[in-house]
Amino acid sequence: MGLVVLGWIGALVLGTVLAIMRVSPIRTVRMAATAYILVFRNIPIPVQMVLFVFGLPLLGIVFPLFPSAVIVLVTYHAAFVCETLRSGLNAVAVGELEASRSLGFGPFGTMRHLVFPQAFAVVVQPMGNVLILLVKNTSVAAIVGVAELTFTADQIAIEEVQAFAVLGGALIAYVVVCLVLKRLVASLDRKVAFKK
Amino acid sequence: MNTTTLFEAPGPRGRRRHRVYEVASWVILAGAAYVVIRILNKNGAFDAAAWQPFGLWGVWRQLGIGLLNNVRAAVVGMLLSMFFGCFLGWGLLSKRKMVRYPCRVFTEVFNSIPVLLLLFFISLVLPAWGLPLPDFWFLVVALSLYSTVVVGDLVRAGVQALPHGEAEAAAALGFSGFQSMRLILLPQALRMMSPALVSQMVIVLKGTTLAYVLGGYFELLRAATVLGAYYSRSLLQAQGIAAITFMLINIALSQIASAIDRKEKQRYGVQPVALDE
Repeated sequence: MGLVVLGWIGALVLGTVLAIMRVSPIRTVRMAATAYILVFRNIPIPVQMVLFVFGLPLLGIVFPLFPSAVIVLVTYHAAFVCETLRSGLNAVAVGELEASRSLGFGPFGTMRHLVFPQAFAVVVQPMGNVLILLVKNTSVAAIVGVAELTFTADQIAIEEVQAFAVLGGALIAYVVVCLVLKRLVASLDRKVAFKK
Repeated sequence: MNTTTLFEAPGPRGRRRHRVYEVASWVILAGAAYVVIRILNKNGAFDAAAWQPFGLWGVWRQLGIGLLNNVRAAVVGMLLSMFFGCFLGWGLLSKRKMVRYPCRVFTEVFNSIPVLLLLFFISLVLPAWGLPLPDFWFLVVALSLYSTVVVGDLVRAGVQALPHGEAEAAAALGFSGFQSMRLILLPQALRMMSPALVSQMVIVLKGTTLAYVLGGYFELLRAATVLGAYYSRSLLQAQGIAAITFMLINIALSQIASAIDRKEKQRYGVQPVALDE
């Protein structure tokens, strides 16, 4: 589960940077972020995982297994984080921006005092969905043999005969984790929601 | 966001400054691209020998068969999940708690399970229960179980988004619950859902690559890896081609989804239904 924590932190950081890049006034920066999202969102995560773990060593770039799984999870989910954040930024009404600008806030002041607080509140729920997606996708690390829940369960299941019990246990573990997360996100969402 | 409101149109000095930044970021990007290409080149990624297998018709044929298998599994899985998803959605909307609660639990559970784990589970447990299916069906079952839940929830959201009058009018005209669902509510709901369904297709197609772990199912990623086993110098190239292929297909599908989205909005002025994921 270290995969989830590290992957989530990385994805949040990279995703936020990308989201800021996407609203930058400089065209090249915007284009670079857009290209990143097109590429990393559309290549299936198993393909990225295999390419990273089995492909890159051919180029003489060797990462240990666990960090490379984390990196792939970060690059994949950062694209989703960025899209979610951007939809949150879009939710801020244009009139409010204009008002803030005419009150003399600069672009960064507007961002910090007006756009971000609202955008984050809007984004809690969808962001929670991305987190749950990340939790589920950590299982993909099993493909390349990182010893996480799915992989370990499968190994035990292959060695022992009681496949049903072991894998069933892993299934239940995922369900519990995801449902708990969903509850937490929902309560957080209620807490930060704007009263309309 | 409308960037012109965040940054007012720059004056002459601002424009000059932006041009400098733009050139600077081009330089950085070009530098990054140069480094990548140099690493690739140093390790012989562009050598003729590494690309030589791709001159052969058979190699492309194998990759094509692999891709076809991906698409086949995705299409079958999607059709199955649309079929069952309609029923699940109907169950989720049911007035009877006896029907609604089990459907809710089913949805929550399968929404939380990674497809890969489901795939392991199915491929180990079904044969143990005396159902030795080919790998194709393991994949399809796992994907459609997962996808049914998503489609079911979409159907629920879609039908709930319809005006109440629709169902009431159907009831007043003497339609039974099933008839009203099949003839009146579902067609409209499906129409509103169509962009979300296409996006779901992207997710399912991405999911088919998980079959890589089964080893017995010849999909594109597996095909690329097998190719790498025959031509040891071409593994990276083959996998790169697989990645680019998936990327292009998925971008195309996403474009279709947003095109449908725009068209629906234009024609009916309605907000198409989407679940946020």
